[in-house]
Amino acid sequence: MSITIEDVKKLAKLSRLEFNEEETKQFVQELSATLEQVEAINKVDVSKVDLLEKTVNADTELRADAIKQSLTAEQIVANAPESQDGAFLVPITVVED
Amino acid sequence: MNYLDCSMTEVVELLNSGKVTSQELVKLCFERIAETTDLNALNSTYFDMAMERAKQIDMARKNGEKLGCLAGVPIVIKDNINFLGTKTTCASKFLENFVSPYNATVAQKLFDEGAIIIAKANMDEFAMGSSSENSAFGPVKNPIDTYRVPGGSSGGSAATVKAKQCFASLGTDTGGSIREPSSFCGVVGIKPTYGRVSRYGVVAFASSLDQVGPLTRTVRDNAVLLNVISGRDEMDMTSSTTPVPDFTAKLEQGVKGIKIGVAKQFYTDKLSAEVRESLEKALAWYKSQGAELVEVDLPSLDTALAVYYIISSAEAASNLARFDGVKYGTRANNYQDIVDLYFKSRTQGFGKEVKRRIMLGNYVLSSGYYDAFYRKAKRVQKVIRKEFEDALSKCDVLISPTTATPAFKLGEKSNDHVAMYLTDIFTVPINIAGVPALSMPCGKNAEGLPIGMQIIGKHFDEQTIYQVANAFEQAHKEGV
Repeated sequence: MSITIEDVKKLAKLSRLEFNEEETKQFVQELSATLEQVEAINKVDVSKVDLLEKTVNADTELRADAIKQSLTAEQIVANAPESQDGAFLVPITVVED
Repeated sequence: MNYLDCSMTEVVELLNSGKVTSQELVKLCFERIAETTDLNALNSTYFDMAMERAKQIDMARKNGEKLGCLAGVPIVIKDNINFLGTKTTCASKFLENFVSPYNATVAQKLFDEGAIIIAKANMDEFAMGSSSENSAFGPVKNPIDTYRVPGGSSGGSAATVKAKQCFASLGTDTGGSIREPSSFCGVVGIKPTYGRVSRYGVVAFASSLDQVGPLTRTVRDNAVLLNVISGRDEMDMTSSTTPVPDFTAKLEQGVKGIKIGVAKQFYTDKLSAEVRESLEKALAWYKSQGAELVEVDLPSLDTALAVYYIISSAEAASNLARFDGVKYGTRANNYQDIVDLYFKSRTQGFGKEVKRRIMLGNYVLSSGYYDAFYRKAKRVQKVIRKEFEDALSKCDVLISPTTATPAFKLGEKSNDHVAMYLTDIFTVPINIAGVPALSMPCGKNAEGLPIGMQIIGKHFDEQTIYQVANAFEQAHKEGV
């Protein structure tokens, strides 16, 4: 599986990451090497595998749908890089014509 | 007597009998931390908070109040576990100023039993790595040889226990992140069965593989600590309702009649001669004690690493999508609009290895590749899991090396990510199968570096792992 510069650029966009030209080239190499490694999964016959089959950990019960005390807005926005009146502050996303 | 040489269990007895106070222990730990800062094992320490809490516990003890089983014991937790009012950085620039607004369930459970959380341990950024060199705050050094790595990603958690800065620690393990550092630093560490321990409040890397577990100086300490942190938690719906037994109950039962599975796939040419020799000696010892060695087969074992990198990176890419510079974490300056803010904050906030995993994760999840990679890997995971279940139906535990070599040198593999990924070949399959596994020292090489043995159990049978581990430890008290 070979990766192209265009692939890396597309992935970077999807990942919301920016890379310079050198880093992009390096990613082409590195991702290609990693994908070569992960090709190993094709050695295994999975034709009989049912992905929906129950597993040992699938003993999940749902909790009661009850209202409980949670964190306050002040506690939540305390870690925000910018906030105002208990809300997250972001750049303007909708502009009038 | 130097109290720092004691095991956690011993120090609990000393506290209970009034021979030492919690305040004395906290002071001793902080003196030791000051002497060993070069290890860079800790990201933040809480002397005042710890002393205040120790004072309360000492007072409560004096007044004859009922105390928890860890009352007054200084403990360190990994820096991806939330503890109210402390920084939780995940060793990332992105979170360098993040302050926990609540307690992770495991931190709450430690607190409720009276443990004193004195510090947060350094790690690979977002737990991605095998050497603790991927920390935004500098690499952790191995206390046994400071030119070597302590393993990762819970390198700080292993180093702090080995260096006697505390009596036990918590780490997290997604592909070996507790066991590999335990092996490299010569301590005992377990990755419990997936679902045994709540992940609530633990910063997610790969949610279907992550587990929290204790790192300790002895097997008994480890069992005691797992008793405390295990159990169903309604804040984590993947935590299991399976009852939690007393993990110390079978510690002294020995190994007579125990069936130990040995899979040839673990003893490959990738294994160094010194590790092979140590493992063979350990297996011969078990046999001499009446354990039966059984050959088992894990034919797809060598594909586990590939499965791991697909699944863990896919989940990491999804989990880390929440880091956008809006809700928490560092926000970049000089952005043009909201999308540019995301791009710049993420580009400046994440380190190289984290970016690498996000890119791989988004690749295997992207349209056109999802079936060939992610879906296929999930299917192979089922095959591997079934192979482990079959192998473990023929024996009580499996024994394998934890790592192919002892601790490597700082910088030795940091420029070769494929070589770095290969250090996890024996630990990764355990997370893929969801079974529990413990690493403990089983020997040393010629340079005195510890060699780790991995004891793998059936789903939710940590008890037998501890039984098998304790027998070996008790018989090798003078060191391995």
